[in-house]
Amino acid sequence: MKIIIEPPKNAEEDVVIVRCASPDPQLISMLLSFQTAKTDLTGYIDDRIVRLNYQDVCYFEANENRVFAYCNSEVYEIKYKLYELEEMYTPLDFVRCSKSMIVNMEKIDFLSPLFSGKLEANLKNGEKIIISRQYVHNLKSKLGMQEGE
Amino acid sequence: MAKEFLISLLHYFVDITTAVLIAAAVFLTASGQQIESVILWQILLAGFITALPTAVLLCFDPKSVRISMALWVTHFMLIFAITVIMLKMFGWCRITPLSVLLTFLAVVFIYFFTCFVHYLVDRKHTALMNQQLKKRYIQKEKLLKAEQQSEHKSS
Repeated sequence: MKIIIEPPKNAEEDVVIVRCASPDPQLISMLLSFQTAKTDLTGYIDDRIVRLNYQDVCYFEANENRVFAYCNSEVYEIKYKLYELEEMYTPLDFVRCSKSMIVNMEKIDFLSPLFSGKLEANLKNGEKIIISRQYVHNLKSKLGMQEGE
Repeated sequence: MAKEFLISLLHYFVDITTAVLIAAAVFLTASGQQIESVILWQILLAGFITALPTAVLLCFDPKSVRISMALWVTHFMLIFAITVIMLKMFGWCRITPLSVLLTFLAVVFIYFFTCFVHYLVDRKHTALMNQQLKKRYIQKEKLLKAEQQSEHKSS
């Protein structure tokens, strides 16, 4: 499949045109999810309220009934449940990697195996997070790898 | 999740059974004992019984390293206890301090063999996943470049 990105003509709204023989249901559902997805978040740090862009978040982590967004160097509290964030951001390159974490795929530098049977994701900011065995298939399907490949 | 559990159980069953067969072959060759065919079924059963707690262990997702270590130690002790019980139940040998020590060593071997085989398989999978990640980044870079070029042309 060819992907073409071109700028809209003068003051035109952004448009996504899918030109294909038969529309792929997965692609259509992805586009619909993208259209309805919330792309900005409200983060709380000390007494400040900050508007966050989801692309700046490396991963979300739930800890003692609170959810935090880890950016390159700052950590913000988010007033969403982890499962809500998963529903909101899974169509946008985020993937559940353990019971308490959702990682931004764009922030993964490389993966390495551990002797304990888990995987370790080395993030671009130098942090390392654990990917539980039960969630490896999520990551594989995001990467377009078939089960058992 | 059930599918993942069954796949994990099957993988561990195959790996543990292979390791038990190696350990049994080494032991029988060293001791010069003759065996009955029933031992093959017993080895398969032993492989399944020890694979079960291993697959269950991987369902836990502890956050702290300490809990994770405690789980692995408990798992090892459980596997060792199960093996000693089977040793007595199937009458593979008499329970003496030496046989318990040899069993302990065999369990350590099987444990590391299984972990090592899984590590090698995971290494292959992560290499493929890293390739896919790299492809994604290259594609994204190309798209961004194309976008920048077309923006430049239109301006």
